[in-house]
Amino acid sequence: MKYIKLSILFLVGLLVLPSCDKALDINTDPLAASSADPNVILPFVIVQYSSRFESELGTRIMDVPQHFSACFNSPRTGPTTSFLTGNTWGMYYTQVLGNLVLVEQDALAAGESRNNVAAIAKILKAKAFFELSCIWDKIPFSEALDGATYSSPNFDDQEAVFRGCLSILDEAISLIDKVPAEGVFDVSGGDVLFGGDMDKWRRWANSLKLRILMLIRNKDTSVDSQIQAVLGQPLIESNDQAVLLPYAGGGGAQNAFYGIVSAFFGPSNETAQVHGPGEPLYDLLKDGDPRFDLYILDPDGLGAPDNGFFPDDNTAVLRDNIIRDDLPHIMFLPSEISFYRAELALLGVTNEDAQEWFDRGLTQILEFWGQDIPGAQITLADATISDYVSSLPAVTMQMVHEQQYLESFIRPIVAWNTVRRTKVPALSPPSNASITTILKRFNYPPDEVSSNPNTPANVNTDVPQWFEN
Amino acid sequence: MKKLLLLLGLAIFTSGALWAQRSITGTVTDQEGEALIGASILLKGTSTGTVTDVDGKYQITVPDGPGNVLQFSYTGFGTQEIEVGISNVIDVALEEGTVLEEVVVTALGIEKESRSLGYSVDQLNSEELVKARESNIVNSLQGKVTGVVVNNTSGNLGASAKILIRGATSLSGRNNPLWVIDGQPVNDDQFNGGQANRISGTRDFANGASVINPDDIETISVLKGAAATALYGSRAAAGAIIVTTKRGKTKGDNNLQVSVNSSYRMDDLFVTPDYQQEYAMGSLAKYDSSSVGYDWGPRIVGQTVSHLPVTGESGPLRAVKDNGVKDFFETGNTWLNNFAISDGNEKYDYRISFGALNQTGIVPASELDRYNVSLNAGLRHSPMLRSRFGVQFIKTDSRGTAAAGANDPNIVGLSSFSSTLDQRNFIPWIDEAGNQINNPDPQINNPYWIRHENLNNRDDSRILANAALTFAPFENFELTGKFGYDYDQDNRFFSNRKGTITRLEGNFETTNINNIQLNTDIIARYSFDITDDLALSALGGFNYNKRQRTIEGLFGNQLLVPQLFSPGNVKQSVPDRDFREQVLFGLYTSIDLSYRDWLTMTITGRNDWSSTLPLNNNSYFYPSVSTAFIFSDALGLASDFFSYGKLRASFAQVGNDTDPYQLDFLFFPVTVATGQYSLNVNFPFNGASAYGKTNTIPPADLLPEQQTSFEIGTELDFFDYRLGLDIAYFNTQNKDQILALPIPESTGFGFLRTNVGQVNTSGLEITLDATPIKFKGFSWNTIVNFSSARTEVVELAEGVDRVLIASAFNSVQVVAEKGKGFELLGVPWQRDSVTGRPLINPEDGTRIAGEPKTFGSVLPDFTMGFVNSFRIGDFNLSFTIDWREGGVMKPSTVEDLQVGGLAKETLLNREGTFIDREGVIANADGTVRDNDVPVASAEHFWTALDDNSIAEPFIFDASFVKLREISLNYSFPQSLLGNSFIKNLIIGVEARNVALLYSVIPHIDPEASLFGSGADGWGIERSNVPSTRSIGVNLRATF
Repeated sequence: MKYIKLSILFLVGLLVLPSCDKALDINTDPLAASSADPNVILPFVIVQYSSRFESELGTRIMDVPQHFSACFNSPRTGPTTSFLTGNTWGMYYTQVLGNLVLVEQDALAAGESRNNVAAIAKILKAKAFFELSCIWDKIPFSEALDGATYSSPNFDDQEAVFRGCLSILDEAISLIDKVPAEGVFDVSGGDVLFGGDMDKWRRWANSLKLRILMLIRNKDTSVDSQIQAVLGQPLIESNDQAVLLPYAGGGGAQNAFYGIVSAFFGPSNETAQVHGPGEPLYDLLKDGDPRFDLYILDPDGLGAPDNGFFPDDNTAVLRDNIIRDDLPHIMFLPSEISFYRAELALLGVTNEDAQEWFDRGLTQILEFWGQDIPGAQITLADATISDYVSSLPAVTMQMVHEQQYLESFIRPIVAWNTVRRTKVPALSPPSNASITTILKRFNYPPDEVSSNPNTPANVNTDVPQWFEN
Repeated sequence: MKKLLLLLGLAIFTSGALWAQRSITGTVTDQEGEALIGASILLKGTSTGTVTDVDGKYQITVPDGPGNVLQFSYTGFGTQEIEVGISNVIDVALEEGTVLEEVVVTALGIEKESRSLGYSVDQLNSEELVKARESNIVNSLQGKVTGVVVNNTSGNLGASAKILIRGATSLSGRNNPLWVIDGQPVNDDQFNGGQANRISGTRDFANGASVINPDDIETISVLKGAAATALYGSRAAAGAIIVTTKRGKTKGDNNLQVSVNSSYRMDDLFVTPDYQQEYAMGSLAKYDSSSVGYDWGPRIVGQTVSHLPVTGESGPLRAVKDNGVKDFFETGNTWLNNFAISDGNEKYDYRISFGALNQTGIVPASELDRYNVSLNAGLRHSPMLRSRFGVQFIKTDSRGTAAAGANDPNIVGLSSFSSTLDQRNFIPWIDEAGNQINNPDPQINNPYWIRHENLNNRDDSRILANAALTFAPFENFELTGKFGYDYDQDNRFFSNRKGTITRLEGNFETTNINNIQLNTDIIARYSFDITDDLALSALGGFNYNKRQRTIEGLFGNQLLVPQLFSPGNVKQSVPDRDFREQVLFGLYTSIDLSYRDWLTMTITGRNDWSSTLPLNNNSYFYPSVSTAFIFSDALGLASDFFSYGKLRASFAQVGNDTDPYQLDFLFFPVTVATGQYSLNVNFPFNGASAYGKTNTIPPADLLPEQQTSFEIGTELDFFDYRLGLDIAYFNTQNKDQILALPIPESTGFGFLRTNVGQVNTSGLEITLDATPIKFKGFSWNTIVNFSSARTEVVELAEGVDRVLIASAFNSVQVVAEKGKGFELLGVPWQRDSVTGRPLINPEDGTRIAGEPKTFGSVLPDFTMGFVNSFRIGDFNLSFTIDWREGGVMKPSTVEDLQVGGLAKETLLNREGTFIDREGVIANADGTVRDNDVPVASAEHFWTALDDNSIAEPFIFDASFVKLREISLNYSFPQSLLGNSFIKNLIIGVEARNVALLYSVIPHIDPEASLFGSGADGWGIERSNVPSTRSIGVNLRATF
C-alpha cells in the first residue's frame, strides 16, 4: 500500500513540473532592449566615433600629414595594419553608420515631428561616408547598409561617394527646413554636439558640403556654381558655432591624445615626451606665429624631432596646453570656411576679398586656440593676434595653403586631405618608408576583403586618390 | 521544481520502515575445488558486498524476502549470478577463462556489460587515476584513452586543459565534451570574457571540471560516439565524460575503512630555451642596458661598461647562466593530500573524503590552494526503495596567475631574459614610499614588482550536489528520480599597482561569475525475458535542465590612493553586468534487445525542447541504433588461441541548440565607447546615456544543428585474453551548424547568425592490450592506443571559404577552411612561382611578405599512447609515453627569442656578411636570379623575419613524443604488515611531464597554447608561462 502511495507521489511529481511551453519562453535578454530612443543611440554614435577616431586615427596617423613627428603603430612608412584598418572601418560602418541608418529609418517613418532626428542622422551619415572615402578612396556607398538587398556591397568611385554625400546633406537641409514649429521631437538630450539646435546643424551641413566640394573641385571645377551656392547659405562663421565634442577630462572622459600619454608614459606630455611637433609644423610656426608657444615647448630652440622620431631631451615637444585630458574633439572650425573663401577669391571663383577672408580666418584660428577653446591653459591677447595678422604680407595662394595646413592642426583627416589636395607644405615620407610619397590611402581591412568578394584589389598605399591632382 | 523535491523528500521519510535480514555464508572455489582468496560477492543492484577469506569463505547479510541475487566474481574467472533461495549456504565454483565481463558506465550512469555495447567506451579506474595524480583531472586522460586529445596550456597553477574527443566537428565552439558526475551534468566552461579572441593579456583559469578530486573517482568513462551519448542529447554532441565517484564498500568486517593518499612534488621548468650567451643586450652591436629581451649588442669579452643593467653601476659585462631564467623561476611545490573514511553494510554505505591541493608555482608569488570535501552516501530502505545522495564542496583560491598573450604588463614569458641581465638585481622592487625601483629602464617594469605588487587572484567556491531515489515496486522494474545541482561562484580580482609602467595610474578589475546548473531526470526501467533466449530491457525518461550565468564586475581606473580598491577611489569606474539563462526539456527512451547473450541491439530516441531556439521550432528528435555481436560465442569459435570476438556497429543522429538570446534584434546599453589601446570613454558621457544596436543580424529561421554519425568496430582477444585488440572506425557529419557568420561590415553589421556548413570528421582508433610476459612474481602489461581524426570542412556558407575560429596577435588565426580543416592562417613569404624560393627585396636583402594563406591543420594527424606496467614482486613500475604526430603551430615565444637575438641560432653570421642564400631576386623579365644582396646585419635579417606580420618562419610541425608519466610503487606485503592496523601500504615515486623525447619546435614545450579550454584555438602560443616537470613521492595507505 505504501508503495502505491509512493508511485502516486512520483506521478504527481511529474505533473507539478512547470508547463514546458511557459518554462521555455525565457529567451528574452533581460539586459537588452528591442528598441531604443534616438536620444540614447545618438550619444553612442557620436561618442564612439570620437573615442575611436581620436585614439585610432588621432594617435596613429597625425604623423602622416606630419603635424606630429611620429606616432605609435603609424602607417607613415607604408603598411597599414589590419588593426588600424579593421578598427576604423568597423567603427564607421557598424557602430556609426549601422546605428544611424536605423535612427534615420525610424525618424522618417515617424513623420514630420522627427525631421530633426532624421536630419541629424543624415548629416552624420554623410560625414562618415565622406571620411571613409577620404581614407580608402573607393568604398561601399550606394549598396552599403542594406545587407538584405546587397549582401556583398559593390564599391563606388570616390566621385560618386562625394557627390552622394552632397545629396544626403541636401536632404538633411530640406528636412531641417520642414521641422514643424510645434510638436517636434525633443532630441536635446541625445544631441551631445548642439543640444538639438537645428540652426547649428544646418550650418554644419552646409560647411561639410563646402569641405566636400573643395575636394571635388580639385578634380572638377564644374562644381564652382555649387560652391557659390553653398557660400550663400548659413555656414559656420564664428568660433561659437564651431563643432566640438567637449571632453570633461578625468577618468573615462579624457581625450585619447592625452590618454595614451597618461596611461603608458606619465602625467604630462612635456615630461613624458610622447607627442612631438612635426618639422613642417614647427617650421611654419617658428617665425613669430603666436601659436608656436601654444603648441610647442622648445625654450632652447632645439627644433622638431626628425621625421619618424619621437621627441626626447634634445628636441621640442608638444605642449601640455594641447595634449590635455579635456582637449575637445574638434570637428569643424569657422577658420576652415574663411580660408576656403580666401582661396576661392584668389582663384576667381568668387568676387570676395581674399585678404579680408584670409585675415578673418587667421584671426578666428588664433582666437580659437588662444581664447575660445574650452580649457585653454595659455591664452593670447587680442593685440597679439591683431598685431600678428597685420604683420603678414599681402595674401598669396601659398600663404592660404600654409594656413590651411596649420588650421587643420590635430585633426587627422582634415590635415591629411589638406596636404593631399594642396601639396602644401611639400612632404616626404620618413627615410625608412617603403613608399615613395607620404601615405595616400589605407589598404582595405582583411575582414572586408575576406567576406566581400566585391572588394577591389589593394593597391600600394602611395597611389593617389581620385581627388588628388 | 521545489515541489518535486519536497515530494521526493517526503517519499524518503514515508518509507523508512525496518525489515528483517538474514546471513548467507559459503565458499568460493575454482572448478578443481581450490579456494579462491579475495573473490568478490556483491548483492546485485546494491553496493553491498564482501570478499572471500584465505579459505575462500564468505559471509554476507541480505534483506529478507525474494529477489536477492548474489554476483560472484574473481579476476580471470567468469562471473556467476545466483538467486538467494531458502538455503542460507551458497557454495560456488567459478569457471576459469570465460569472458571477463567488464562492466562499464554508460550514458545516464547505467552500468552495462561491455560485451553488450554497440559502440566503444573507454573506462579508467581509480587505480590508474591516483598513480601519479594530476591537479587537473583532465590531464590524467592524456595518452590513456583512444580518441582523446588533451592539451594542457601552460605552467600556470590551476591552468586549464583542453580535451577534444574524436576531432573537431563544430564551427561554433561546441567541441568540448559534456562532463557528468554521478549522473549530473556539470559545468566545464572556462570563462574568459566570452572571447575567442585572445589578443590582450589572458589569464588561463581552470576549466570547470578540473575541480574534481582524483581520489574521489571510482571510474571515468569516456563516451565518444554519438550513439554512446545519444541519451544525453545535444549537449554531448562532442562526447561525454562520465565520472562515478567512490562509495563506501561492505567488507564484511564491520570496520570502517580509512585511506590516506599523500604526495609531495617539486615542479621545475620543463624546457629551458637555448639562450645565446656570447652577445650582450643592445642593438647594432652597441651595448644598451635597457635593451631587455633584445640581445643584438656587442660580443661579451669582459669589457667594462659604465652602466650595467638595473644597477646602473660600472663593471665588467658578463653573461648570466641561462639568461637568469632559473634565478627568476622558482621550484614549485605541490602537496596533494587525501584522507577518506568509508563504510557500508547491506543497509547503508557512505564515504567522506577530504582532499587538499597546496601548490606554489614556478612563477614567483604564485600559489594555489584547493580543498575538496565530499560525501557520498546511500541507503537501502527496503528491497523496493533505495536512495543516494552526494555532495562535494570545493574551494579553490589562486594567487599570482600570470597573464599570457600581449598588451598586459602581467605577462611572464621566456623572451624577457637577456644575456647580461641578472634577475637577482631586480630585488628589491619597491621602496618605502611605494615606488617601483630597480627597473631596467623607465619604460620597463621590474618583473618582481609585477609579480608581487599586482594582484591576479581567483577565489572559486563550488558545490556539486546530487540526490537520487529509486523505487522498485515489482521485479525488474525501477523508477528513479535524480536531482543535481552545480553551483559555482568564481570571484576574480586583478590589479595593477599605481606606478606599474603602462598602467601608471593603477587600476583594478573585479569580476564575480556565478554559474548554476540544475538538472532533473526521472527514469523508468523495465526488463524481462521474452523467451529463454530473448531478453528485453527498456528505459524511458524525462530530463529538465536549467543553466544560469550571472556576471557582475567593476573596472576601476586611475587610483587616487594606491592599493585601495574601492569604487570611490578611482577616477574612472565601469560597472558590468551580464545574465543568461537557458532551459532544456528532454524525453528519451532506450530499448535493449539481446539474444542468447551474444547479440544485442540497442535503440534510443530522444526529443529535446530548447529555450534558445524559436518557440515554434524548438523541438528536435534524434535516434540511435547500435548492435553488438559476439561472433566467437555465436559461432562457437573460442579456442586456446582465439578467446573472444565481437563486432559492433552504430548509427546516431544528434541535434544541437544555440546560446540564449540569439533570436531577437537587440539594442544594448553601453557603458564604454571603446578606443585603441583600451583608451575607453565612459557613458554616461556629459550626462548622456548610450545604446547601440547588435552587431549580429539575428536569424530569420533557425533550425537545430544536426550531427549524424556512424561507427563500426571489433574487439578481439587471443591467448586466454593475454592479447586484446580493439579497432573502431567512425564517421561524423555535422550539418546546419548555428554560426555567427562574418559578413561584410559595409552592410552595417559584422555577423549574420544562421545555419551553415557541413563538417565531416572521420577517424580510426586502435587499442592493443597485451600481457606479453606473466609468471609468478613478474608481469608486463602494455597498452598501445592509436587515434586519428580527420576534420574536413565540406561546406561553409555560399561564397565563404573561411570562417574564423580563434585569433591571436600578429594576424595568426585559426580558421575553418573549405576543403580543408581547422587551419592556421598566417602571412607567408612571397615566393617565386617556378622555383618556390622566397623572393628577396633587392633594396635591403630581406624577404618580402606575401598574401595570408593557411599552413596546415592545427590538429594532429594522429596520437598514440604507450602505457606500460611492470609488476615485479611487490614493485610496480609504470610509464606512459605520448606521441602526437602532425599539426602545425606558431610559437610566438620562439619568434621573440629569435627576433630579439636571444636564441642560440641567432649567433650564425653575427659579425660577417649575411646573404640570404635561399632567396631569389626577381628580374625585370620575369625570371629570377640567386640573391646576392647582403642584409645590413644579422640583426637586420632576424628582425626583418616578422616584418609585416610574416608568420612563416615561426610556423613549425607540432609533433612531439613525451615521456608523460612514470611511477614506481612498492606495496608492502601482508607478511610485513602482519596483523597491524594497516591493511595496505604503498609507497612510490612519481613524475609527470618527465621528458620531451622528440620535437622540432625549439626552446619551448610544443604543447603550449595561448587558448585555454574555453576557445577552439590550437596551434598558437604567445608568452605562455612555461610548462613544468614534476617529480615527487607518494604514500598510500588504508586502515
